[in-house]
Parts: sequence; C-alpha cells; structure tokens
Amino acid sequence: MVLHRYTLFDTTESTMSIIRFNAVNKWFKDLHVLKDVNLSVAEGEVVVICGPSGSGKSTLIRTVNQLETIGSGEIWVNGQNVIDPKTDINTVRADVGFVFQHFNLYPHLTVLDNITLAPIQVRKQPRVEAEALAETLLAKVGLANKRDVFPSQLSGGQQQRVAIARGLAMQPKVMLFDEPTSALDPEMIGEVLKVMKDLAHTGITMMCVTHEMGFAREVADRVVFLDQGEVVEMATPAEFFSAPKSERAKQFLQQVLSPMH
Amino acid sequence: MRKILILSAALATAYMGSVQAEELTGTLQKVNESGIITIGHRESSIPFSYLDDKQKPVGYAMDLCNQVVAAVKKKLNKPSLVVKLVPVTSQTRTALMVNGTVDLECGSTTNSKERQKQVAFSDSYFVTSVRMLVRADSGIKSLDDLNGKPVVTTTGTTSDRYIKQNEQGHSIDVKNVYAKDHAESFLMVETGRAAAFVMDDVLLASLIANNKNPKDFAIVGPALSVEPYGIMMRKDDPQLKRLADETLSTLYKSGEVNKIYDKWFMKPIPPKNITINLPMSEKLKEAIKNPNDVGI
Amino acid sequence: MGHYQWNWAIVFEQVAGTKEYYYQWLITGLGWTVATALCAWVLALVLGSLVGTLRTVPNKWLASLATCYVELFRNIPLIVQLFLWFYVLPEVLPKSAGFWMKQDMPMPEFITAAIGLGLFTSARVAEQVRTGIMALSSGQKNAGLALGFTLPQAYRYVILPMAFRIVIPPMTSEFMNVFKNSAVALAIGVTELTFQMRQITGEYAPGNPIEVMTIVSVIYLILAFSVNRLMALIERRTQVPGYISGGGK
Repeated sequence: MVLHRYTLFDTTESTMSIIRFNAVNKWFKDLHVLKDVNLSVAEGEVVVICGPSGSGKSTLIRTVNQLETIGSGEIWVNGQNVIDPKTDINTVRADVGFVFQHFNLYPHLTVLDNITLAPIQVRKQPRVEAEALAETLLAKVGLANKRDVFPSQLSGGQQQRVAIARGLAMQPKVMLFDEPTSALDPEMIGEVLKVMKDLAHTGITMMCVTHEMGFAREVADRVVFLDQGEVVEMATPAEFFSAPKSERAKQFLQQVLSPMH
Repeated sequence: MRKILILSAALATAYMGSVQAEELTGTLQKVNESGIITIGHRESSIPFSYLDDKQKPVGYAMDLCNQVVAAVKKKLNKPSLVVKLVPVTSQTRTALMVNGTVDLECGSTTNSKERQKQVAFSDSYFVTSVRMLVRADSGIKSLDDLNGKPVVTTTGTTSDRYIKQNEQGHSIDVKNVYAKDHAESFLMVETGRAAAFVMDDVLLASLIANNKNPKDFAIVGPALSVEPYGIMMRKDDPQLKRLADETLSTLYKSGEVNKIYDKWFMKPIPPKNITINLPMSEKLKEAIKNPNDVGI
Repeated sequence: MGHYQWNWAIVFEQVAGTKEYYYQWLITGLGWTVATALCAWVLALVLGSLVGTLRTVPNKWLASLATCYVELFRNIPLIVQLFLWFYVLPEVLPKSAGFWMKQDMPMPEFITAAIGLGLFTSARVAEQVRTGIMALSSGQKNAGLALGFTLPQAYRYVILPMAFRIVIPPMTSEFMNVFKNSAVALAIGVTELTFQMRQITGEYAPGNPIEVMTIVSVIYLILAFSVNRLMALIERRTQVPGYISGGGK
C-alpha cells in the first residue's frame, strides 16, 4: 500500500475539515472498488480527484452524499457521520451540491423551476425569494435569458450550467462535481469550466472528479490521484504535475497530457 | 302401339311421381344438393338440448329433431345424409338460422310473434309456464308476497316484465336484480341475495333437481305466462315445415312422444343421472292432442 | 340464404307490455357503463399509481408486497374476481357482515363491479406506472435525492411527473379497456350497456339482434374514441417542449 501523506494541510481532528473519509472500503460483490480511503477536504478547499477510468473516483464522490453506500469506514460531512443510520441524510444532502456528468435536469420543468424546486420544497423558501436567487444565479452562469425554457431546448453546456445553478440555489457548503464536462461536446467544455473556475474563486468548498487537467492546474488546491480504488497520491497541482511520485501517476499523466488527447 | 305409348307414359309419370312428387324447394333443395343438414343445438338447455358427458348434444328436443332428420333422409332418399351439429346460444340462434348456417334449431326456443318476423316454427313440442322458485321456508306463495324483496331474472329473459306488470295496481315494490345465466340466478336465491327466481317451470325444476338439497326449494305461484317451444327453421320454407309438422304429428298420434317425454323428464338423465321429475302439463297434453304452431 | 328482415327502428319501439322504449334501456345501460368505468378508473389510477410506485422503492418488503398485489389482481380473470367479490365474499364473512352485503348494501352490483373492475385495472395501471418509472434514468431520482428531497418528494416532484407523461399512450389503452371490461359487470347483474343488449336481443325482441348489437358496438366505439381523444388532449397539454424520449440525458 502506497500512501503519500499530504503534508501541506494538517489532517488531524482539530482542523476544519468539511469532508472526511476514514478508512473507507467498498465492494461491488467481489470487486474491491474503494480500498481503505483516507481523505480530508478543508473548508474553502478545491480538491480535484483524477485517475484512470475504473479507478473508483466517481464512486468515491458519490459516497459523500450517500448516492453510493460503503462497506466499511466512516464519512463525515459538515460534522455529521453520514454512515450513521441516525443521521438524517436529507439534511446533509441539502447542504451538499452535486453536479452530474449527465446534468440530470428535470425535463418537465422550466429552467427556473428546476432551480427553485428544491429551495421551495426542501428549504421551504418563499417562492419570490427562491426565484430572485435563481435569477441571480442564472445571470452568474450566463443564462439570464433562459429562465423560461425547458432543458431539452438547451445545449449540453447550457444544461450543465443550469445544473450548477440548481446546486448553488440550495446555498450549499460544498459543491461536488462528478465528471461535469465528460458528456459535453468539446466546444462546450470551456463555458462550463469557466463557471466552475468563477465558482472556485468565491471560496466555496469544491470536490471535483475531472479529466480536465488544465482546470486542476489552475484552480485546485490539491490533486488526489486514485487508481484501482486506492488513493495513490495527494499533492499540490504544482507538485503533482511536475513531479509525480508514483509510477502509476506518471503513466496516467503521460496519457492525459499527450497532445493526442 | 298407341296403348303401349300411353302405358309407358303413365309408367314414366308414376315412376317420377314416386321419387319426386314435387320439385324440391328451400332448405330441402339446399340439403339435397349439398348432402349435409345442419342442426343447431344448445350446450346447456337441460333436458331439451345439451351436451352429455361425452360432449354429444342430447335431449328431448334433440330426439324429436332426429326424427325430423330421419324423415328428411327418407324423403330425399339419402340414407347417408351428413348431419352436422353446430352449437348456438340464445343470442346467436336467430342470426345463424337466417344466414343459413343452421337448418333446424333444436333447443328451447319460445315460438313468439316477435321471432316469427324472422323465422318460422314447427308445431309446439313443449309448453312451459313461467313461475317462481323460492326457498321452501320463505313463506312466499304469490307475487304479492314479494313486496320490498329482490327478485332475480336471468339476463335475456322477460321475467322482469311479469314482475313489473304485476306491480302496477298492486302497490307493491319489487326490486329487480339480474344474473348472467340460470345457474347464477338460482345461486342468488340459494345464497339469499334474491327472494325469488322467476322462470320457465321446466328450467326451475331441473335446477332444483340438480341441487344437493332439492327439498329446500319450491316452485310456487300461478303461471305468469305460458310459452310454447317449437323447432326453429327458416321462414317461407313450406316443404321443410310440412315435413317437420308431419313428423311430430305422427309421434303425437302414436303416443311415441310420451315415451320420449318420460325418458327426459321422469327418468334419470345424463350426465349426472338426476331426475327432473316434471310430469306432463295439461297445456302440453292439449298441444299434443291438437298440434299447432300458434306463437305468443 | 339471407331473408333477414332489417329493422333499424327497433330501438325506438315500445317494449311490449310496458310503458318503456328500447332506446331508454340503452341510455340507462350507457349511464351504468360510464358510471362503472369511470369509478373503476379513478380507483385504478389512485391504487395503481401507489402500487406501481411501491414496486420501484428500495424497501424490499414494500416492493414485494406491491408485486404480490399486481400478480394477484392481474392474473385472475376479471369475471372470476367479480364472482369472488359478489358471491363468495359474503359467504366467508361473519354472518352479519355477509347478510349486510346481500340485503342492505346500497347498489351492491354497481359498487362491487366498480371496486372489482377498479382493483383489476389498478394492477394493470401499476405495471404501466412501474414501466414508466423504470424508463427514467436513475440519474433523475439521484438528482432529486442529491438536492435533499426525501424519497416521497423525489417521486412526487421529479420521477412521477415524467413517468406519467411517458405512460400516457399505454394508459390510453388501459382507459379504453376499462370501458370494454365494464361489460363483464353484467355477470353480477349491473344493468349496463351489454346487459341491455343481451336483454333486448334475448326474449324481448329476438327478431332483430343484429341491429341492436350493431348500435351497441357503435356506442362502445364512440366511447373508446372519446377516451382516445381526451387522452390525446392530455398528452398535448402535458407535452414537454423539445423533449423526445429517454432519461433526461
């Protein structure tokens, strides 16, 4: 087991970690998909998780709000143990925004209703307030003029920007991104990344599974390299991209940074 | 020479006359040409026309019809005439007769003026009375005892009309309820959902005979209606009609009909060897004495 | 052979020996057909949606309970179910309850038929609703859950609105079926349209069954067509602009 402990941040109990994995394991039947994962994300930190496909990174990020259950270990989010059956998972989730690879907007609702549905139903926010916030967020993601259209009338990039606005409308403490640009046509990746970069600069905590190494280099505080369910490397982008310690990370970087890609 | 000619002419005429007294028309002509006669039968009109344990149509009406078929064979001089059996229901029998699918309908069809618009009937071979089946311990004796009680009618029959007619001027209120077939109408009385089942007495008798506790039920009240049954055939087919009537008359005159009646109404019959036990009514005796095809 | 004497005016003739007319019987029958079918349909929609939804929930107990419900009501022929409710149930209940069902229950045939047909149809509706839910990508549900919806909220606001849109075409045929199936109610004595047809073509007016059957068939056709148009209208009204199919990808 190779675990290069990251030293820039102190990961002891006393720090303000907003997400913490303690010895998390997960199996799909006989397949060991997460192997003894230990990881902390501090408040305001932007963490990019990368790794070859099948490395377990999507599974990892989905365990944070329990869209995936785990086999053993603990996951703490906002000071609550999400594995504990006594924890109300819905209140945890309400504070954790999640952006999916395939956007998953509600097709039967307009853009505005997509964004305001959860604030109104879950947060019990007055409609007027929710709509005002939604319009502010739409303006931020550059879609102020799309409030009344339906998702299927938008491009993939636009849909993903709405999805980000939808997540932000709950005023979450953390935003999780699960390969937010992988399902997009290349010309639309830029617009989504720009929104994500702007967001990163607001100081919100972000955990992001992505292949966009440019994004990682530019805004991440830390890069976590996952391979075969193991956290193989954790480093600042500068360290990770210039001097990866493990052979597996070197190989991975060679592939994703090659001009062919 | 002249004598011989006359003789031969006379012989020829006599010869032809003996084989074919008249030119065949209607159904007989059709049967003669096709070599097939088709009998429409019922599947559960006990004891008139129904399937026995070997799925063969049998019954009082079937026995009489078979005599008519025998007469047809004789008249056409076709001993090997093919007899085809086609099941009919109360809904399909008229249409199947009119469109030529069946040639004779041997079931339990009331000879009514309404039906005579479409089809014809042989002389009556049975006369039924519409009466009430009640639980023996119910104390019901007449229609007036039915005030406020549900009375069941089998769908497709006119029993409810007699109930409605009787209500007028009697200031009684009877609730008409309906069941899909006779067995269910009987079930309604048996389970207490209905106080009475108004139907042809012969059917009521057979339902009681088939029940495990025949003594629990009784047929009561006056005849609400008297209905003759006839063999149904196509309209405007005098040859077949005459042949059928003659066949029945012969059976009536010889007393053969009494034996056939006893076989189906007074003795155990298939499939369960149950006896209906319904002696011949005065009305039927009358119809046998004076054969007629007057409908109601 | 045809010497059939056509008489389309048969339905306007007076019923011999009464003050009624045959067309009045048909109108009464139509009324009971519509009443039975609509009551059954409302019941089927409510129960079917609930049971169909339960079949897709993560709770294994609830899901298999719902599966049992569907298999039970879908696989027993409708006529047998009506028989069981109407003839058998009162006999197996405590004596007083059975007696009440047989003697004092208001409109026993109609209520039994509406409930029986409703339960039968609900199993079929449940299957359609389940199919609609399964047709949505799991991403839809996750998108709801990830925002903090409870499971019922995710179904209410996210999954069911789309699932119902998807199943409008098969639901249209179920809705049409409920009218056709309502004819089975004559088996327990509901005086609906097919009952009236059988009544008229039986001993009352046996001379002209083809006309009466044709007219009744046309009435059923008009009913089915009306349902079809109504559902098409609903489909148009609820159509999501630009949405073709599939799970929101």
